[in-house]
Amino acid sequence: MNWVAVALTEDVPPGVVIPSRIEDTDLAIWCTPSGRYHAWSDRCPHRGMRLSHGFVRGDTLACIYHGWQYNEEGACDYIPAHPKLTPPDTICVPTYTCTEAGGVIWVSLNKTDSALPALGGRKPVRSLPINLSANDLAAHFGAEDYTTIAVVSDHDVLIAVQPCTDNACMAHVLASPDKDRTTVSRWLEDLRATLEGMPS
Amino acid sequence: MTATIDNHWYPVAMISGIQAPRETLLLGKKITVGRERGTCWVKDASGNALPTVERFGHLWTSPGQPNRDLFTIPEADSPGRRLVDVGSVKVKCSPLRAVENFLDIAHFPFVHTDILGAEPHTEVDRYDVKIREEVDEVWATKVKFFQPQAAKSAEGGITTEYMYRVPAPTCSVLYKTCPPRPGEWDVITLFVQPLTDEWCEVWPWMALYDDDSTMSEMVSFQQLIFMQDRSILENQLPRKLPLDPGMEVPTQADMTSVAYRRWLKKIGYTYGAQLVAA
Amino acid sequence: MILYDYVLSASCYKVRLMAALIGKTLSLHAVNFHPAQEHKSPEMLALNPKGTLPILQDGDTVLTDSADILRHLTAEHPEWRSPEDDRWLAFASDLNNSLGLARLHDVISYEADIEKARAAGVAALRKLEAHLTEQRFDGLIFLTGKTPTIADIACFPNTALAPDGGVSLDPYPSVRLWMRAIRSLPGFIEMPGIHRLHELAHPA
Repeated sequence: MNWVAVALTEDVPPGVVIPSRIEDTDLAIWCTPSGRYHAWSDRCPHRGMRLSHGFVRGDTLACIYHGWQYNEEGACDYIPAHPKLTPPDTICVPTYTCTEAGGVIWVSLNKTDSALPALGGRKPVRSLPINLSANDLAAHFGAEDYTTIAVVSDHDVLIAVQPCTDNACMAHVLASPDKDRTTVSRWLEDLRATLEGMPS
Repeated sequence: MTATIDNHWYPVAMISGIQAPRETLLLGKKITVGRERGTCWVKDASGNALPTVERFGHLWTSPGQPNRDLFTIPEADSPGRRLVDVGSVKVKCSPLRAVENFLDIAHFPFVHTDILGAEPHTEVDRYDVKIREEVDEVWATKVKFFQPQAAKSAEGGITTEYMYRVPAPTCSVLYKTCPPRPGEWDVITLFVQPLTDEWCEVWPWMALYDDDSTMSEMVSFQQLIFMQDRSILENQLPRKLPLDPGMEVPTQADMTSVAYRRWLKKIGYTYGAQLVAA
Repeated sequence: MILYDYVLSASCYKVRLMAALIGKTLSLHAVNFHPAQEHKSPEMLALNPKGTLPILQDGDTVLTDSADILRHLTAEHPEWRSPEDDRWLAFASDLNNSLGLARLHDVISYEADIEKARAAGVAALRKLEAHLTEQRFDGLIFLTGKTPTIADIACFPNTALAPDGGVSLDPYPSVRLWMRAIRSLPGFIEMPGIHRLHELAHPA
């Protein structure tokens, strides 16, 4: 699997961490105060707590449970219970390839040389959860792959699909900059109602 | 299910709360709890009566044949203490995760902020932990931590001393400096009913010296603390407690948890445990 | 003012939070809602025959509806009011009957049709997300505008506590940023299940 959209950048402002997932991989997506994005395994190595419940302090992501802080490489560099201790290099969180382009945060679970999907100058509208698998959503639009789906409609939208579970995906939707976002957003709500109402 | 797990005593109800017969789960199996003419009873799914003990305000039962009596807390019997039925809270986590969290102090500044702990007072000093072979219990002593508001009866920050005791796999007893009575210990317990291996009902109970707070205030305080823990417990991965070293990384502050996991392994208590990396 | 309060009640928290945000000190009277059902005791029923919490007593005035209490607290704080509030106070009551009920079921074993309660909760969260997203298109972060009102305070608790009842908040980015904006307000207080923003405190 190559690049998958996990969020829109305006939904993850500097200093924020959010939960996300690509199929069976739980992710913590966070943004440093200076605007760098990271995608990590959503699990603190200490006691298994989800890091997406934690907090960004300086250029670190801290776990909410015991405040362990991880630097941008995913290495633990501070354990509040032992303030004088330099944590061993072995305490680190698995990290994934993560980048921002076109107002979308993209993650690849493997190393990849492939180019990011072309967005054709479209701008992000919103992310919408849909109770439908990514494959079923792609099939509905006759698309072979769900990475990005161009939908021919009144609004010329592009859907970057994030596969979440067997029956749920997240649709990150982009549209031409001249489109009214509220109009597109309401059209999406109707589209979702139609898709979820279809017999599978 | 092995006898190692069945033969323990488990809490299944608060005695003062038993009214009409209530169906619940114990170790994944249906049981019914009720009371007739002042005597509490527990029946399994086939209607067979299970053994019962009434102690610490709670009803205890066992699906097996317990080879020892339910543990005692002699300190709780001393006069002048107020016995507090805190009620139960259900949590989607392994019963063992719930106990382990109760044994942990390093989370206080982050999860019980400004009550049981506060930054920058985060350091955990070395304390003593051992498995007391003669009673087959885990004990941690000389545990000290700075607390902004250690109890309902505490005013201002104090360094609190703790002793932790694990007398049964899903139960823990905490002895804690008693703000109004230096030299005495408050007793705070966590009794965990394993509904399944990833779902539990937690029955906290307390025996405190506190002449000022109302009963409702003491109940509120403990429910506040436990519900702060619940949002942690429901978000640990995996839900089961890993017993094999390697899946999680303990530090010196986690000596009690390390001893608890080692003891569970030693006695073969694997219900709610994860034995191999998933 | 005396608030008859239960520490785990989302509706009581609305009142505590509103009072904290406008700097009003309440005298809290703890009621043992669970397990003792003290809110159904004769003393409490004399005060509120409906047997519900919260109850606010201000001199001779006794209020038992959380929306009425929020209005009462902000009677002299027009900055906390908007003509749009009533619609959201009604919506807050939908949240309480769906997400709030699911939470009582999952935490303290309340009887409920849990799947129905959760489905209604998800439907409500989708409405909230759609509205807050449109607000953000217009550069607004709160329910009725650029600043928070009693509408936000009424809807915040049951929304933020949705995971307690087994309803995930993960797929709602606008709801998440709105909750963060509320948690960032000066004077914000937390309740169990809703953390404060630790990033703001004590850099190591």
